[in-house]
Amino acid sequence: MQTCRLAVMLHFKTDMDKQAFQDRFRVSIPQLERLVGTALSQGGDYCDLYFEHTIYKDLLLKDGEVSSGSFHIDYGVGIRVLKGDKTGYSYSESTEMADMLCAAKAAAQIAQAEAPDDGKRYVRHNPKTLSDADLYPVRTGWETCSPVWLMSMLGKLETLVRAKDSRAVKVLARTAWSESSIMMFNSFGELTCDFRPLGSIVVSAVFSENGVNESKTSSRSFRQGAEMISDRLLEELAADVVSGIDARFQAVRPKGGKMPVVMGAGASGILLHEAMGHSFEADFNRKGQSVFSGMTGKKICDSSISIVDDGTIAGNRGACNYDDEGIPGQKTYMVRDGILESYLHDRVSARWYGVDPTGNGRRESFRFNPIPRMRATYMENGQATKEDLISSVKKGIYVDEFSNGQVKIGEGDFTFYVKSGFLIENGRLTAPVKDINIIGNGPEALADITGVGNDLKIDNSTWTCGKDQSVAVSCGIPSVLVRSLTVGGE
Amino acid sequence: MENERNIAGLISEKEKSLALFCMEAALRHGAAQVRVSLSKSVLDTCGMLNGELDKVTHSADRSVFLNVFADDRYGTFSTNMLDEKELESFAAQAVESVRTLARDSCRRLPDPERTAKNATSGKEAGLYDSRYEDMVSEQRYEIARGECIYGKYGQGSDGIRLVSEECEYSDSVDDNFTADSLGFSGRHTETSFAVCSEVTIEDRAGRKYSGYWWDSSPFAGNLATGQCSDAALKRAAAQVNPASHPGGRFCMVVDRSVSSRLVSPLISALNAASIQQESSFLKDSLDKKIFSDRLTMIDLPGSTGKPGARLFDSEGVATCDMDIIRDGVVRTWYTNTYMSLKMGIKPTVEGVSRPVLMPYGEDSLLAGAGEIMSKCGSGIYVTGFNGGNCNQTTGNFSYGIEGFAFNDGKITHPVREMVITGNMITLWNSLLYAGNDARACTRWQIPSLCFENVDFSA
Repeated sequence: MQTCRLAVMLHFKTDMDKQAFQDRFRVSIPQLERLVGTALSQGGDYCDLYFEHTIYKDLLLKDGEVSSGSFHIDYGVGIRVLKGDKTGYSYSESTEMADMLCAAKAAAQIAQAEAPDDGKRYVRHNPKTLSDADLYPVRTGWETCSPVWLMSMLGKLETLVRAKDSRAVKVLARTAWSESSIMMFNSFGELTCDFRPLGSIVVSAVFSENGVNESKTSSRSFRQGAEMISDRLLEELAADVVSGIDARFQAVRPKGGKMPVVMGAGASGILLHEAMGHSFEADFNRKGQSVFSGMTGKKICDSSISIVDDGTIAGNRGACNYDDEGIPGQKTYMVRDGILESYLHDRVSARWYGVDPTGNGRRESFRFNPIPRMRATYMENGQATKEDLISSVKKGIYVDEFSNGQVKIGEGDFTFYVKSGFLIENGRLTAPVKDINIIGNGPEALADITGVGNDLKIDNSTWTCGKDQSVAVSCGIPSVLVRSLTVGGE
Repeated sequence: MENERNIAGLISEKEKSLALFCMEAALRHGAAQVRVSLSKSVLDTCGMLNGELDKVTHSADRSVFLNVFADDRYGTFSTNMLDEKELESFAAQAVESVRTLARDSCRRLPDPERTAKNATSGKEAGLYDSRYEDMVSEQRYEIARGECIYGKYGQGSDGIRLVSEECEYSDSVDDNFTADSLGFSGRHTETSFAVCSEVTIEDRAGRKYSGYWWDSSPFAGNLATGQCSDAALKRAAAQVNPASHPGGRFCMVVDRSVSSRLVSPLISALNAASIQQESSFLKDSLDKKIFSDRLTMIDLPGSTGKPGARLFDSEGVATCDMDIIRDGVVRTWYTNTYMSLKMGIKPTVEGVSRPVLMPYGEDSLLAGAGEIMSKCGSGIYVTGFNGGNCNQTTGNFSYGIEGFAFNDGKITHPVREMVITGNMITLWNSLLYAGNDARACTRWQIPSLCFENVDFSA
């Protein structure tokens, strides 16, 4: 069997070879300055340029063979002009100077908008550098890794799944990765470069028993090189995808209604992301649309609760050396000890609120302007054990796998589809349940949390947030007891 | 402001030549068969926040997609770096990558007999409006501004305050040229003009409610402008003072603006790739009566000038009008060339074009949700879905809903925090009525629907 060729690519973010990035995009500092000058020629307050070169590849195992694969190349520059809190945005898929100047002129148009001087200014932000270490060092570059070896690992994954559960009638396994070279330049003259790897591996299986089919998917994703694909990871994924299948065949829809809900540690963090996290994003608050508008500094939940959005977890899918506005990655407390401490800011909202950006200005690609987005969102540990929380419930439900969460930002109403869980009867887990919804209201649910476990787990599945644009995120939570939520059942 | 004609979004002869060069390069590097597709689009938006210009964007995209078949192997590739040197290297890498994959003899281009022959100018589907070429920034701003009601709407006597209003106007052109090494060549060009508005209001108690509305058309002259914010505001205001509603089994009327949410799982389950992977609840369904007689859905790609019209699918296969489900009998699995060979069944087309769910009423056709509610008497009128999912393997679903309770055919109060659960096959077997009110602006022509005995939890 072939193995990956090791390529030592360890580097520190302050040591990125900025000239190499300029060479890649075929631009010089004077040219960048000329572009910024053109973009601001109509009277804009601030301008930034975002260059991107991404190579994306994937391999798919289906019906026992890796018989399809693809690669995609994306290259271009996005040009943003800000006038007050108004945005002009354009991009070019070519970095020929004439094409970029054309895009700069299109973005510059926003400055023609009437914008009364509110006395607020865009200012250079002294980065709160937490560490110079690269958050995503690569030991084995994806581009140097043999596709034959990756194909063999997908084959091994399929074999492991089938060996663990003979009811698996179909197995799909897919690995995908991208490597992005990012260069940012702004009207303060700041040049920032970042190299971003992102790998994922996903396995889906259909299990058949007595003519009934059930399916399950498991995935892992990291900002790492190909070293993330290991025998240990395959074993973990295979165990994950077959776990709980017996329960899934036996599971029923429970009787619906309002009841206490214990959220399992890890993947239940999606509730935190959807039902609370989005409402803390500063754009929704700046526009008065969020249910948490005007509530900074106020107590919104029990003092035992702290909620964090963290871009500094090394190798995490939501890690950011820099956000997409060149602000260094940070750890931001949205809620500390029950008090709403901070929204999640990009440069626009930071100027509006008169605070420092929090490193949450993110975008899908050079085709999009940055907006406040989450990174890795989680609740910090509390004191209780998972068993304490379950045993305190006389009649309720325990849920550990969600999908398809949705929230209405203004109202705070959320709905989540529960893929698996159990009834809680007299403090014990009893019958398995599936295919139900949990609905509630974000602020009310937050205020209704009456117990926080001590088993925080970050879920490393392939979470992608879709607020207008797709960005890689992750989430986590310890086991949590919510006093009352609506459970949709029979 | 420049006054040049907006033709930059249309594929030039030089760009077509580049696409064909890429195909030739892949063949030169050893591919047995190749399909190349060049997609080009330009999108301009003008966004307003609280009556003031907030955002203008200009997007121009151009990419080459390559489907390579080499040595019974297959891969897909794309790049937006379009010069001959880059494309030569790209095509060589693509063929090299394909050769590392496992063999699969079912991979091949569609039979030339099946591909479209009449899509030469791109305008045959009737979806291109040349007025797009004359659109300038001032017009975009004026249309967006015309949607705004912020400032015109004071605090009402009911204590409702308009907190925020976001309106957007956009126009775009999408142009696609596809060719393959067996001689297919086709082009599809369409324009789009759209307006939308999202309004957030606050009641006297500080509770917020939001409403959204939009319109779009391939033709500038058919766009309904100046109405979105009013409609969004009405939708938001209608939700004020929701009352709790007990769970149970009720008649459910689903508004035309969201009814496609319940059709989507059916279309997905009729995809041959899902069926082949045993992850469809409609496996073994072809030519079988699965649903109620009341359900008939057809696919009308030949509706020239209407959203969803197209002469060929992504493989270049000629489309035709056809039954999807007729009187409850499944008539089509969406089957591309690969799945056809893999499953040993007749190929159709790759994906749905313009599904049309046919109206149904016992005595006479019912126009819309209002008439349907009158006919039903009491139940829940669903105007929005909030989260939820359908298990594609089993067909079991659970969706959060929002809307209104109705009694004696009249809306009584808004409801929230309700969930519907059931199974897709059971649900569609309980179809009572399908209205005749699908919105002209949508590709999926799904009217207001009514189902009996739906499980609601609250």
